[in-house]
Amino acid sequence: MIATIAFGLLILSLIIQIVYLFKKEGGQDVISPWLSLAAGILLLVEIVRRSIAIRFVALTGMFESLIFLACFLALLIFALRYFKTTKGNRVIPFGATIIAVIFLALASSPLAPSEIKPPVPALQSGWLVLHVSFTFIGEVFFTVGFVSAILQLTTKNEEKRQSYDRLTYTSVAVGYPIFTAGALIFGAIWAEKAWGVWWSWDPKETWALITWLTYTAYLHFRLVRKSTSNLVPALVIVGFAIAMFTFFGVNFLLRGLHSYA
Amino acid sequence: MKSSFDKVYDALRSIKLAAVLLVLLALLSIAGGIIPQGKTTGFYQLHFPGAGSRIILALGLDHVFSSLLFLLVAAVFAVNLTVCTFHRLTGELSKPRGKRRHGPDILHLGLIILMFGGILTARTRTETLINLRRGESADLPDGAKIVLVDLNYEQYPDGRPKSWESTVVIHRVSAPAPSAANTPAPSTPGGLPQYLIKVNAPLRLKGYSIYQQSWHTEKQVVLKDAMGMSFSLAPGMRGATKDGFVLFMALDNPSLGAAVPASSTPATSSAPAASSDPLPQSAIFLLEEHGKRTVSKAAPGQGIGPFTFDGYIDQSVSGLAVVSDRGYPFVAAGFILVILGVFMTYIRKLKGMLA
Repeated sequence: MIATIAFGLLILSLIIQIVYLFKKEGGQDVISPWLSLAAGILLLVEIVRRSIAIRFVALTGMFESLIFLACFLALLIFALRYFKTTKGNRVIPFGATIIAVIFLALASSPLAPSEIKPPVPALQSGWLVLHVSFTFIGEVFFTVGFVSAILQLTTKNEEKRQSYDRLTYTSVAVGYPIFTAGALIFGAIWAEKAWGVWWSWDPKETWALITWLTYTAYLHFRLVRKSTSNLVPALVIVGFAIAMFTFFGVNFLLRGLHSYA
Repeated sequence: MKSSFDKVYDALRSIKLAAVLLVLLALLSIAGGIIPQGKTTGFYQLHFPGAGSRIILALGLDHVFSSLLFLLVAAVFAVNLTVCTFHRLTGELSKPRGKRRHGPDILHLGLIILMFGGILTARTRTETLINLRRGESADLPDGAKIVLVDLNYEQYPDGRPKSWESTVVIHRVSAPAPSAANTPAPSTPGGLPQYLIKVNAPLRLKGYSIYQQSWHTEKQVVLKDAMGMSFSLAPGMRGATKDGFVLFMALDNPSLGAAVPASSTPATSSAPAASSDPLPQSAIFLLEEHGKRTVSKAAPGQGIGPFTFDGYIDQSVSGLAVVSDRGYPFVAAGFILVILGVFMTYIRKLKGMLA
């Protein structure tokens, strides 16, 4: 119910943003950032409610993961608008809101059962909580980088292109350490404590590594390539696609140790 | 004019080379993530007919992560990382103290140590799986013995596992220890500390760790002797007789038969769980009498050698993994440095994003 209200708020935010996108005259959209904030807080409340019900941090299933992703993305959308990071650009918060809505739509699909279930022994670990939460927070920043990279590739205005490039880079540079810590390091520590092995080339691990390698390649290419290069933002788009495949595709197509995730 | 050494050095420390190697590693990993690994030649010929299977097998893409190609790219990457770290670190050290930025150096150093630890782990890690019932013991790598004192398995109402826990004691060489592996041991060894091992909480000992790997129940047969004393046998275990032994080989068609509970508690120290599943009608035994061996089938209530087959019990078995890994401290140190370095390098960007 709480997640449904949050979904409604984000849809409303999306509609308002569409109106402002097509508005020829300027004008400040002051409502949609607050709708994003309200949706984020509601989703946080839902996570806390579920956590209390299972007496563990509710981050152990697909539904909870999607709620968490949408929650932090909604909060980041508000922060981007509040701190004017996007410098009045309306498309980036709009694109990020679409992705948050997609996450919540998937959460309400049969692919993500919303039944509250306490975790099995392998999932009862503080390291798992750090692993999942850091990974998703990193990916939330990658989402903003993804939207910005698409705009960077599609715009013909050089000034805008450079502005998008800066935002793409900043988003990836903030998300990268959080993702590195969560997906690779906390994940490996958890695996060692649970199964006695740091790394087992499980499909989820392999694809998380591919995501990390892609973003690492982006950060290095950006140091040496010209800002007009299309390869650099393309890597961010590919990286986000791989991150999403790691989350969804591996769960349904390539089973492994993470089959419960 | 640059010398050949300088040219090679510059090439090896180049960021462009690093970026290209990262993309290559990503592409090879994608191949490893998409192509099923470790299958037979026939499998690849069937699923990737023609040139596909030839390329997969020639490039070692059927075992990407241990293939020559992957290891070669990883080795060049390691050299690139090492040279780059050295070059950057010496450059930073030559700067005034306040202007140094060591985040990337720490990150790169952490990755080098991590790779070293990973290689050491791959070459020296050993894992031994042991299945213990209550009171049983097994040898550990340092000559000590582990004795399973108790095990506890809890389920949620929906049947999913809630916890697996094993309580064990470790008998050092100097302490009194059971005589052989998998033989009954005192369930309450006096004076020795008890350790709890559960999933996500391994027991760390000097040089190795013990993990709670699995838990299952097995059906054991309960045999009663002429004096009315009963004892249980797990599959593969034997009970001594005057002229030889009786060995419980296996259940005969476990899908058949009605429940036949054991009529009394076995004489072993374990406290078996009550059986609730339908039980097999008969079991298969190997009998040795005066050096002559015969295989017999018996149902509960029937005689088997000098014993009466009294019924079945469910016995809990704890699966423990004993892991020794010399790469552990290096991997752990690498992780610490990578986290420290990556945050030192990039987190200041957060200020730029939300300022």
